[in-house]
Amino acid sequence: MRRARRFNINGILVNAAALVLVLSYALPYVYLLMTSIKPAADVQQIPPSFLPAVVSLENFREVLQSSALPKAFASSLAVAVLTTVLSLAVAVPAAYVATQYRRRITTLFLLFALVTRMVPSVSLGVPLFQLLKSLGLLDTIPGLVLAHTSAAVPLALLLMSAFFEGVPKELEEAARMDGCTRFQAFRKIILPVMIGGIAVTALFTFITSWNEFLYALLLTSEATKTAPIVIAEYNSVYGLAWGAMTAAAVLYSLPVIVVTLALQKQIVGGLTFGAVKG
Amino acid sequence: MSAIELRNINKVYGNSFHALRDLSFDIRDGEFMVFVGPSGCGKSTALRMIAGLESITSGELRIGGRLVNDVDPKDRDIAMVFQSYALYPHKTVRENIAFPLQMAGLPKTEIANRVDEAARTLELTTLLDHRPALLSGGQRQRVAMGRAIVRKPAAFLMDEPLSNLDAKLRVQMRAEIASLQRKLNVTTIYVTHDQVEAMTMGDRVVVMKGGVLQQVDTPQNLYNRPDNVFVAAFIGSPSMNLYEAVLNGRTLTLGSNSFEIPDRVFEYRPSLNGASNRQVIIGIRPEHMNDAAIRPSSAEISAPVTLVEALGSESMVHLNIDASWVDAGDPDAVADIGDEKAAVARFSPKSTARAGDIARVAVDAEELHFFEPDTRTSIW
Repeated sequence: MRRARRFNINGILVNAAALVLVLSYALPYVYLLMTSIKPAADVQQIPPSFLPAVVSLENFREVLQSSALPKAFASSLAVAVLTTVLSLAVAVPAAYVATQYRRRITTLFLLFALVTRMVPSVSLGVPLFQLLKSLGLLDTIPGLVLAHTSAAVPLALLLMSAFFEGVPKELEEAARMDGCTRFQAFRKIILPVMIGGIAVTALFTFITSWNEFLYALLLTSEATKTAPIVIAEYNSVYGLAWGAMTAAAVLYSLPVIVVTLALQKQIVGGLTFGAVKG
Repeated sequence: MSAIELRNINKVYGNSFHALRDLSFDIRDGEFMVFVGPSGCGKSTALRMIAGLESITSGELRIGGRLVNDVDPKDRDIAMVFQSYALYPHKTVRENIAFPLQMAGLPKTEIANRVDEAARTLELTTLLDHRPALLSGGQRQRVAMGRAIVRKPAAFLMDEPLSNLDAKLRVQMRAEIASLQRKLNVTTIYVTHDQVEAMTMGDRVVVMKGGVLQQVDTPQNLYNRPDNVFVAAFIGSPSMNLYEAVLNGRTLTLGSNSFEIPDRVFEYRPSLNGASNRQVIIGIRPEHMNDAAIRPSSAEISAPVTLVEALGSESMVHLNIDASWVDAGDPDAVADIGDEKAAVARFSPKSTARAGDIARVAVDAEELHFFEPDTRTSIW
């Protein structure tokens, strides 16, 4: 009895701590959400209020009616999807070979991928600008996709390597004994087994590209401006248009939230892959 | 025809580690051959080379008369059961078993019939729609077997397939695999480090150590006529007791004990005749040492008892024989026994020997094994 009670107190404490943590993470987003549904006039009131006095969707109406945002959303989506596909196409096979056929050079290869993650994006901005300019890809979707892919591939490579570490080598060997070539074994057996890990990597790669600001700022102008740039540039005659900006930001966050929720099962499966052997 | 021939097979890794040295032997069509040896002896490497999963540095490997050194695993017509089973976790039992047939491009009805037949043979029919994660260790083992037999390959390769099962299930599956192999009559190579599995399952056994072939023979011959000290000690449980001794005429001196060797021994080991102060290594199996109080013999030694393990049907009596103990060179055995260099005798459960006693031990001298101290090979 006493033991059960102590357990309950522990449970309450753990839950309370988790709630505090979740609230601290969620607070800025909740504030964004609250601001977006305030009437434009209330957004800049002093002192600011957390909850809206009146719920209004006028900010959303304004941003959806503007011509810039839908076009920017389309650019963002195209860039993020293409970056994800290209990054996975490069990183998944590369990570598999690097982990399953371990040699000194493959270890160096993974280490190099890690090092590239340590270089600040801003240091790479100017060289990328020059490179894309000489290729005639400035302010184009392929140009930005290449720039984002250069940043996303090392991340995807490291994530996929961690997932592939948990795949027993015998799985590929069994497939080869069962009549597969190495590539067939990879395609028919390894890839389906790794679907959870690939989903997690795809999501992180998508989010990396979807949220990216600096390269989009440097490498695009009018034709292919992505949504983060458009949102940051919301101005009114009085300065920054906070109401429209927050409404656009909420709209922009929705796809990531929806995709994350849709892939929840695969993500949890992927993140715990290898922890429990079947 | 699915005989397998190995001729001077060598495996040298990139770091110059010589894993296999001049391995040469034949596996007959339909034979159940067991590769056995301590950890790191090269038995799994040899199996993987036959499978095509490991390249051959030099030598020739033939399956059914065809040179297959550079043939892909998929084109060797062999099936393999892995130690970890390597079942495809995203496929059901049915899909796992059907996979090699799909890869071979068989028609769907043929695949369905053969999967059903394999499932019936292995009593997997009720589990066909389950995923491997839902199966017990024994069931997974059966699925792995199913995936191998369904193809009707030229040979089966099995890499320690029972090592992940508990002791009871292992005994059951051991018998099942052996009887399945006899029924299918397919050439089988079975790798194990367990000499009981090797002795009970194999038509013949390949004993390896340090990448070198020690002996290829029937289980009975390995036990009765080991070629060298290593095989003598490796085959049989508990291990053969090995000591340095001196043979003078018909008298063997073992530490402070001496006894006469029967004439019959000199008949089948003629090179021992006329020995004069000849240094030898002698081997005595535990079952050839008994309590002299219960079963007297003309060849008796006395030795202090250090430990008695009463097992009910017999007692394992550890004896401290005052002669030089000989290390057989089994790395696993040294790790197991540590500094324990006692001889082990298999006494009748009626024996009253207790730790601390000086036991009179009857040695079945006709069953003694003799080895050269320098080459460690059998003296015949």
